[in-house]
Amino acid sequence: MSVDLLYEIGVEEIPADAVLPALQQLETNLQQGLTDLGLPPSAISTYGTPRRLAIIAQDIPECQPDSVDEHKGPPAEQAFDEDGNPTQAARGFAQARGALVSQLEVRDTEKGRFVFAEVHRPGQPAAEVLPDLLRQVTLELSFPKTMRWADLDIEFARPIRWLVALLGEEILDLEIAGLRASRTSRGHRVMGEKRVEIPSPSLYLERLSENGVIADHHQRQEMIVKQAQQLAAEVDGRPRTDADILTEVNFLVEYPTCVRGSFDPRYLDLPPEILVTVLQGHQRAFPVEDADGELMPKFIAVTNARPEAAHVVSQGWERVIVPRLDDAKFYYQHDTRQPLGQRREELKRVTFLKGMGNLYQKTVRLEQLADWLHQAVVSEDKQLRSVLSRSAQLCKCDLVTMMVGDLKLAELQGVIGGYYARASGEPEAVAQAIAEHYQPRSPQDPIPASPAGQLISMADKIDNLAACFRLNLIPTGSADPHGLRRQAAGIVEIIIQTGYSLSLSALIDYALQLLPAPAEDEVPSNEQTAVALKEFFAARLAAAWEQRGVSYDIARAVLAIPWDDITDATRRATCLADLKGKDPEAFVDLVTAAERPARITRPESLPDSLQVDTSLFEHPTETLMSTEFEAVRQDVEAALDQSQPDYARATEYLRSLLPTIHQYFEDVMVMVENERLRNNRLALMAQIDTVFSRIADFLQIVPPNS
Amino acid sequence: MSGVYGQLVFQQLIRTLDNYWSAQGCHLSYPYEIEMGAGTMAPDTFLRSLGPEPWQVAYLQPSRRPTDGRYGENPYRLQRYFQYQVLIKPSPADIQETYLGSLEALAIKPEDHDIRFVEDDWEAPTLGAAGVGWEVWLDGMEITQFTYFQQVGGLPCQPVSVELTYGPERLAMYLQNVDDYRDLMWSDDIRYGQLRFQEEKQFSQYNFDTADVPMLQQLFEMYEREATAIINSGLPLPAYDYVLKCSHTFNLLDSRGAVSVTERHGIILRIRNLARQVAELYLAQREELGFPLLDT
Repeated sequence: MSVDLLYEIGVEEIPADAVLPALQQLETNLQQGLTDLGLPPSAISTYGTPRRLAIIAQDIPECQPDSVDEHKGPPAEQAFDEDGNPTQAARGFAQARGALVSQLEVRDTEKGRFVFAEVHRPGQPAAEVLPDLLRQVTLELSFPKTMRWADLDIEFARPIRWLVALLGEEILDLEIAGLRASRTSRGHRVMGEKRVEIPSPSLYLERLSENGVIADHHQRQEMIVKQAQQLAAEVDGRPRTDADILTEVNFLVEYPTCVRGSFDPRYLDLPPEILVTVLQGHQRAFPVEDADGELMPKFIAVTNARPEAAHVVSQGWERVIVPRLDDAKFYYQHDTRQPLGQRREELKRVTFLKGMGNLYQKTVRLEQLADWLHQAVVSEDKQLRSVLSRSAQLCKCDLVTMMVGDLKLAELQGVIGGYYARASGEPEAVAQAIAEHYQPRSPQDPIPASPAGQLISMADKIDNLAACFRLNLIPTGSADPHGLRRQAAGIVEIIIQTGYSLSLSALIDYALQLLPAPAEDEVPSNEQTAVALKEFFAARLAAAWEQRGVSYDIARAVLAIPWDDITDATRRATCLADLKGKDPEAFVDLVTAAERPARITRPESLPDSLQVDTSLFEHPTETLMSTEFEAVRQDVEAALDQSQPDYARATEYLRSLLPTIHQYFEDVMVMVENERLRNNRLALMAQIDTVFSRIADFLQIVPPNS
Repeated sequence: MSGVYGQLVFQQLIRTLDNYWSAQGCHLSYPYEIEMGAGTMAPDTFLRSLGPEPWQVAYLQPSRRPTDGRYGENPYRLQRYFQYQVLIKPSPADIQETYLGSLEALAIKPEDHDIRFVEDDWEAPTLGAAGVGWEVWLDGMEITQFTYFQQVGGLPCQPVSVELTYGPERLAMYLQNVDDYRDLMWSDDIRYGQLRFQEEKQFSQYNFDTADVPMLQQLFEMYEREATAIINSGLPLPAYDYVLKCSHTFNLLDSRGAVSVTERHGIILRIRNLARQVAELYLAQREELGFPLLDT
C-alpha cells in the first residue's frame, strides 16, 4: 500500500529570491531522505509562494521494508577462547549491536577471520519515521540570510507560523519552533479564509485555490504573463517581461492581479533605460512597448490584491511612480545644463579607493592604460586613439551627476554618461564607449560592441583589480564586495570573444606601476600582487572555459604550463576539448603518448645541458624513435611558430608518435645501470616531453574511461 | 478617493495609532527630547530592546536628518519629520495580523488595496544594530519599516524584539490624497506647511549653509569625551544622551560637507564604540537589578 505525503511550511513573507532555492533543497533532501528510509516516492512536486514552501511526495510505501543490518566485529581469535567460548569482547559486541551471542557468526575475510552479527530490523510505519525526516529537512534548509524570532533558538529565512504535515489523511506527529503540525493551512490574506482545512495531499492545491492562493508557481507565472499581455493588448501594446523581474514578482504574490497604470507622455523624453530602471528596478513593474518596440506611457504592476480592487490599486501605483519619473526628469534637465567634460575637475573631490587617490587620477591612468592596450592589440589607428583618450577622460564624469548620485539610479552609471556625452556634443564613438565601459556587468551581459568600449572596459577593470589587490582587498570565500571576480571574468570574456592577443603579465605590471604607492606598509609588494592577480585570472579563465564545455582537467592541464596570452591559452584549451568531444580515441592516444615520456623523465633531475647522442643508441627502436620524433618536432614547430598557431595540426603530429613510443618502451630499457646510457635515453624522452608541453601538461588530464 | 479618506487629519492619524497600540497592550511613551535621526535611537527602543525583559511601547518621535532638508521646497523631503514607533519584545506570533489591524483602524481596508511585505533588511551602523524584515508596501508605496531586531549595540537580541516604524507623513498624504507635505491637513483648520515650512527653510539654511563647522567639530570631541567619562562613572542612561548628541553633531557636520569619505567610516566607528559600551553597561546593570520587568 502506498500513500501521498504533503508538507507545508507556513512562513511570514520570505524574500522572493529565496523561495526557489529553498524548494530545490527541499526536493533534493526529501527525495534522498525518503530513499534512504526505504520509502521512495513515485514523484515529488514542490510549490512556493511568499508565505509557504510546500512539497508533495506521491506513492510512498506505508511501511519501510524489513532489513538486515550486517555488523563486523572483533577478530575471531579475540571473540572466542581456545574452547570456543565467547569472550567479553564477543559479548560486548553482541550487546552493542542488539544481537544475541549465539547469533554471532565467524566468517573469512581478506583480513582474516572475524565475528559478524546480523540484526534483523522490522520496517517501521512511514508515519513513525517521517516526522524526524521532515524536521531534519526543514532545519537543514539554507538561506542566503537567516534570522531568529521571539525567544526561539532556531534560524530560518523568516518566522515559521504554521506547519501542515499529512500522510494520506493522517496528520504526522511533528513539532518545530513550538508549532505542532496540523491539517490547517491558511488562505490568501484578503481573498481566502484564515484557516483552510486540507483533507488530504491530493486536495491541497484545490483547497488553497478556493481560498485565493495559487500555490503552483508555474501556474502563477502563466497567469501573470497572460494578464499582462491582455492588459497591454487593450492599449495596443505588449509588456516587456524581463525574466528576472517576472520570477521576482511571481514570488511576491500568492494570487496575481495585474493592473495597468499610465504616466504623462512627456516622461517618454527620458532615455528609455531610465524609464525602464524606474519602472522595473524601483517598482518591479513591467514597461509596455508598442509594435515598434518603443516604450509607451504605460506600465503593468503585478499585485497581490483582489481583482475588484484593481482600480484603486493602479491609482496608488501611479502616485508612486510619477514622483520617481519626475525626479529623473529633474535630474536630466539639471545635469545636462553643464557639458559632461566640465565635470572632470569635480572628480578630484571624489575618493577612488582609500590610499589610491581620487577619480580624476583614475581617469589619467585609464587614458594611459587604454593607450597601452591600443598599442598591444590593434594596429595603429589615429582615430581610435583619440576616441580612447577622450572616452577615458570622460567615462567617470557621470558619477558626479545628480542622476547617478540617486542611489536607485546608480546602476545606470556609464549608460547615463553616454547620454550626457551625446547631449554635450561629444563624438558618437566616445558616447558609445562611455555607455558600454561597465559591460559585461554580469555573466549574461554582452561585452562592449565597439573596440573603444572594449578597451576602456578592460582598462577600467584592470585598474580596479590592480588597486584592490595592491591594497590586499582580495576576495575570500563568497565575499567579494568590490566585484573583482566579475571584473576579471569581464576582461577574460572580452579577450576570448574578440581574440585580442596580449601579454597579461605585462598588462598587470603596467597597471600596478601606474598606481600611487599605498601609504600602509602592511600591503604586499607589486611583485607579490602581480603573482596573486595572475592566479586570480587563471581561476576566472578556467571558469570561462568550463562555460564553453572545456572540462576542468583540460583547463588545469593547459594552465599548468607557462601561459601569458589568454587567447593563445584558449586556443589550446578548446583544441583539446574539441578533440576529446569529436574523437575520444584520438584524445586518449594523445594523452597516452604524452604520458609515458613525462612520467619517466620528470622524477629525474637531469642537467639542462643534456643532449641526445645518437652514437650511444644500442637498439634500432632508439634510432627509429629519434628520427620519427625529429620529423614530428619540425612539423609541430612549423604548425605552432606562426602568428595563428595551429594546435589541431600539432596534436595530430604528436599523436602519430604513439605506436613508436609504445614500441620504444617495449624494446628499450630506459632506467639501465649505465649512467651515460640511461641519461641519453632520458634525454630523448625529456625532449619529447618538452614538445608535448607546448600544448599542455598532459599528466593533469584524467583520461576518459581509464 | 479623497471623499472616502480625506477626513483623517495628521493629528487624528497619530491619535488613532496611539489608541490602537495602547489597546494592543503597548504603553504610550513620548518623544525623547534630544535630536536624533530615527525613532530607533530613542532609549525606549535602543536600550529597552536589550536583554530578556518584556517590553511593549508606542511613541511618536520627531526625526532629524539634516542632509534630507530641501529648504522646504521638495514635496516629499524634510529634514525634520516624524516616525511612529512600536517596539514589542518578544515578537508575538500574530504581529503581522496585528499590524494589518492598525491599517484597518486608519480606514485602510486590506481587501481594497495591495498590501505587501517586501524584503528589506535594516542596519544602523552607528548603533551597531541590524535586523531582518520588510518594507510594507501600500499600493506600491512604502509606508512602514517592519524589523525583527537581531543585534543592537553589537549585542545579540535574545529574545528578539519586533519594531514597526510608520512614516506618518506618507500615510497621511496617501489618505488625504495630497502630493505635497505642505498641503497635508494637520488638524481640521491648519496645514502641515503652515506649521512647519519656515522651520524647514531655516533649518535647511542652517544645516547646509551656516552651521559653524569648527564649533561642531569641537562639540563632537567634547560630547565624545563626556560620553566616555559618564560611561566610566557607571551611568549608562546619561551617557547615552551624549552618544545621541555625538550622532546628531556628526549629521550636522555631514550636511555641511565637512566629513570626507575617509573620515566618515572612522567617525561612525567611534560612535558605534560608545553605543556598544552603553549597551553593555545598561544590560549589566539591568541584570544586577534582577531584570525587574521580567515579572510584569
